[in-house]
Amino acid sequence: MLRRCISAEWVKLRHSHIWMILVILPVISVLIGSANFYMNQGVLKKEWYSLWSQVGLFYGEFFFPILIAILCAYMWRLEHLNKNWNMIMTAPVSATSIFLAKLIVIGVMLIFVQIFFFILYFLGGKLAGITSDLPGELTGWLLRGWIAALTISALQLALSMRIRSFAAPIGIGLCAVFFGLGMYVTHLGMFFPHSLLTIGMGVLTQTSLSSGESILFIIMNLVYIVVISTVAIHRMRKSDVVA
Amino acid sequence: MKAISLELYKLRHKHLFLMVTLFLTVEIAWAFMATSMSISHNPDNAGWEPLIAMLSSMNGLFLPILTAICVSRICDMEHKGNTWKLLLTVSIRRSTLYAAKYISTSIIMLVACLLQVLAITAFGIVNGFEQPVPLLLLIRFFIGTVLTNMIIIALQQWVSMAVKNQAFALSLGMVGGFIGMAADLLPLGVQRIFVWSYYTGLSPITQSYTNEKMQFIVRDLNSLLPMMVVLIAAGIGIYLAGCVHVSRQEV
Repeated sequence: MLRRCISAEWVKLRHSHIWMILVILPVISVLIGSANFYMNQGVLKKEWYSLWSQVGLFYGEFFFPILIAILCAYMWRLEHLNKNWNMIMTAPVSATSIFLAKLIVIGVMLIFVQIFFFILYFLGGKLAGITSDLPGELTGWLLRGWIAALTISALQLALSMRIRSFAAPIGIGLCAVFFGLGMYVTHLGMFFPHSLLTIGMGVLTQTSLSSGESILFIIMNLVYIVVISTVAIHRMRKSDVVA
Repeated sequence: MKAISLELYKLRHKHLFLMVTLFLTVEIAWAFMATSMSISHNPDNAGWEPLIAMLSSMNGLFLPILTAICVSRICDMEHKGNTWKLLLTVSIRRSTLYAAKYISTSIIMLVACLLQVLAITAFGIVNGFEQPVPLLLLIRFFIGTVLTNMIIIALQQWVSMAVKNQAFALSLGMVGGFIGMAADLLPLGVQRIFVWSYYTGLSPITQSYTNEKMQFIVRDLNSLLPMMVVLIAAGIGIYLAGCVHVSRQEV
């Protein structure tokens, strides 16, 4: 059942040109980050790490969460249109499958975004003339970034499901970005989805997490994903839809 | 007039004003926190100039996104409800409709700017700034912000109306917010091309680093006037282009 829901989600995304947004936003963040790195090479001497601090700041702190928000809002847009809520709720699939299918499809797309971002980062570094080897933490940053991105996706999906407007959840997401930054600064970063992304991607400090922190990071993400999804699915089951 | 009041009537259950206010609260809270911190580091910074400069650079980030969201909501309700055909069967010209939507968004953003100015004044008085309230500076700040807003609204409305998928309009807003934030780092020639950079470009206060020290300089009004004229012309151009393009589109 879940598999059919997932393939239905892919069908809904056809001809949406959503891939353009998935491509453009990382390109812009890498462009600006690399340009900033290139112009300030006098101060930023740690090669790949410095480049990551610049590129990652724009991408992980700002563009990536909003990219996720836009994507999640788009996933529910079709349901909010043309009385499609009635259609989807009468379809012989469970609410769990509908929600999880959307989450999985977003997860897959975000893997591609992360890989694409890595390629851009690599190209940017080479073009800026960095000769040393890639940092060993890179895989960890990208992977943990993806895990935290899933948490944010669950949150945004739940918001976009509840709120009919396309733009309002994105605005809320943006406020959450700044709130997350505040949480990170006050060392409460492990307890908020958006600051988990900051920690996971090593945006503000490039030191790798200790094994205890890594475990806490993964547990917190899992807890958030499970709790948010459960609440959203419960809501879908219990409350009446407004088509 | 009737069309405008109808637009506002359609928005009555959309909580748009609430959202704008919340969004602004986040911005203003952040700006004031940063200013309070800089005052506690350096008491010389307790003045109106740093405060206004801080808020105009914050506006570069927040207002393009807020504008994109507002415009998108006002235009998307017609896409979403499939009401374009209904609207066009009413004997009203498409350009009137376009203008009504433009003006109602402008009114909302005008209120937002007004709230900002009031917040600045309140913050200054509460913190006991020594100088009196600089009415002229605040008015110039207000005009600069409103003007930039109106041009961005014209641009966003064009995109939101022409492309049904609002993801594009919002991405444009994001990119704009980003350019607005990074505007001061770009070379002057590049800055002038992007409308989003005018939040700081038209701000009455400019910052400059001399001898490792931040200085706040009040800009001369005469140097800003030609820029405003060009900007208004560009805004009218964008508005007309959008209006003509959207009016000729098939529904």
